[in-house]
Amino acid sequence: MTYFIFIGDMLVMLFMIVLVAWVFFKSSDETIDEAGKIPLEDEQDHG
Amino acid sequence: MKEESQQFYHDEVVTRLVQFSLIWAIVAMFVGVYLSAELLWPELDFGQFWLSFGRLRPLHTNGIIFGFGVSALMATAFYTVQRTSHIPLFMPKLAWFCCYAWQIVVLLGGLSLLAGWTSTKEYAELEWPFDIAITILWVCFGVVFFGTIARRKIETIYISNWFFGGLIIVIAMLHIVNNLAIPVSIDKSYSLYAGAQDAVVQWWYGHNAVGFLLTGGFLGMMYYFLPKMSNQPIWSYRLSVVSFWAFTYSYIWAGPHHLHFNSIPEWVQSLAMVMSLILLAPSWASMINGIMTVSKSSVKLHNNPALKFIVLSLAFYGLATFEGPMMSIKSVNVVSHFTDWTVGHVHSGALGWNAMITYGVFYYLVPRLAGRELYSLRLANIHFWLALSGTILYILAMWAAGVSQGLLWMSIDELGQLNYTFNDIMASMKPYYGLRLIAGLVFLSGTILMSFNLFMTIKGKKTVKVKPPTIVKASEVAA
Repeated sequence: MTYFIFIGDMLVMLFMIVLVAWVFFKSSDETIDEAGKIPLEDEQDHG
Repeated sequence: MKEESQQFYHDEVVTRLVQFSLIWAIVAMFVGVYLSAELLWPELDFGQFWLSFGRLRPLHTNGIIFGFGVSALMATAFYTVQRTSHIPLFMPKLAWFCCYAWQIVVLLGGLSLLAGWTSTKEYAELEWPFDIAITILWVCFGVVFFGTIARRKIETIYISNWFFGGLIIVIAMLHIVNNLAIPVSIDKSYSLYAGAQDAVVQWWYGHNAVGFLLTGGFLGMMYYFLPKMSNQPIWSYRLSVVSFWAFTYSYIWAGPHHLHFNSIPEWVQSLAMVMSLILLAPSWASMINGIMTVSKSSVKLHNNPALKFIVLSLAFYGLATFEGPMMSIKSVNVVSHFTDWTVGHVHSGALGWNAMITYGVFYYLVPRLAGRELYSLRLANIHFWLALSGTILYILAMWAAGVSQGLLWMSIDELGQLNYTFNDIMASMKPYYGLRLIAGLVFLSGTILMSFNLFMTIKGKKTVKVKPPTIVKASEVAA
């Protein structure tokens, strides 16, 4: 039972991480670059 | 007036939260220093219950976590979410309510701890009236934060907001589940759980409060302010997102490593150990991402105390997130459990990571909020060295004390009798506790210097009004 729960936990973890990685890596490089620049382009000049 | 409130970012509430955070830092760190003095000279409680170690210690931890830490997290979450969404805060009056009501709850909660009200659960000592108040305020915090994200002008939800969002959702879940209790009077309740279940639920809460508040929340700060200060996008945005999800999935399992060799199932302990070791990967992914971002930046460190603090905090983050998994290994834990090694580990994270990244962010933030240069660069540089030396001295003293305690407690003669009594071992700790007191004083004095510096920077100035950018790339506009 112990090994069943443990291996099950690990498989769920693996599935979720692979799912997230797959969803994320299908984003284009351009979208990723734009996302990374968000903090650098978020204000007009200080008043 | 309505038009103006829609036009500018709501930064006044950020300024006020930073001020409250600084006040709590001084108060709670002073209590910590007093506690370390009590361990050397127990008569410092003057026979007063409210000055006893048992009552002051939760005041120290709650003051740091909920006063200093959460005020800083609220400030930076409010600052970050509106900028990364290109829109002012949703329901700004509710944000102000969160700001003031939170301080009142922490203050009254702290007084209740001194009065002896306690649930006895570590980091969740506050009794049920405060638990309910915290729940309501946390929901308000979530409404402001997620309401702002829901109205965002750009499609992408920036990585910092994932960490802040994770903080809000997971802490709500942990707080509610762990504090389910039956009240019997205004100052006393009994947990719904009992025995081993109570312990497992408590450390599921306790470890993940460390995970999603003191780690995830502060990583949210790092992922916004480090690129901002370095004038450089985060080194790998893909890595940041993958590490967020890996961090979220693995952290939640690690709590029972606090219960090694206790009366919980063996497999639960082993699972927690394995998950703690796995946790090293996403933890270090964020550290590497941060360090690589700075390494590519042209901004110089030597005259930039804000960036220096953040880089240093990443080094301590790497240290603490390596040490934690190592301490979860059962053969290491057999030495470290119930010793001052754990105290040293907690403070390498709390002083080295949480406090230092917050200091770096405040040194960056306050001059911008006030619209003027930092009052004294020299004081900030002195603070940097005080913080670094205080932290290192603290950790070294507690490592030495903890390893000594662990080994001496395991020392037995040929008949299996203990070679040293508990009293013998504790009496031998005095030099280490003296060093810890000095370390605490050094760190506290640095924090006081910073608070003076920042209060002088902001003194007499109104918070600068900043507008969201008007030009938004077509690809970023939400459909």
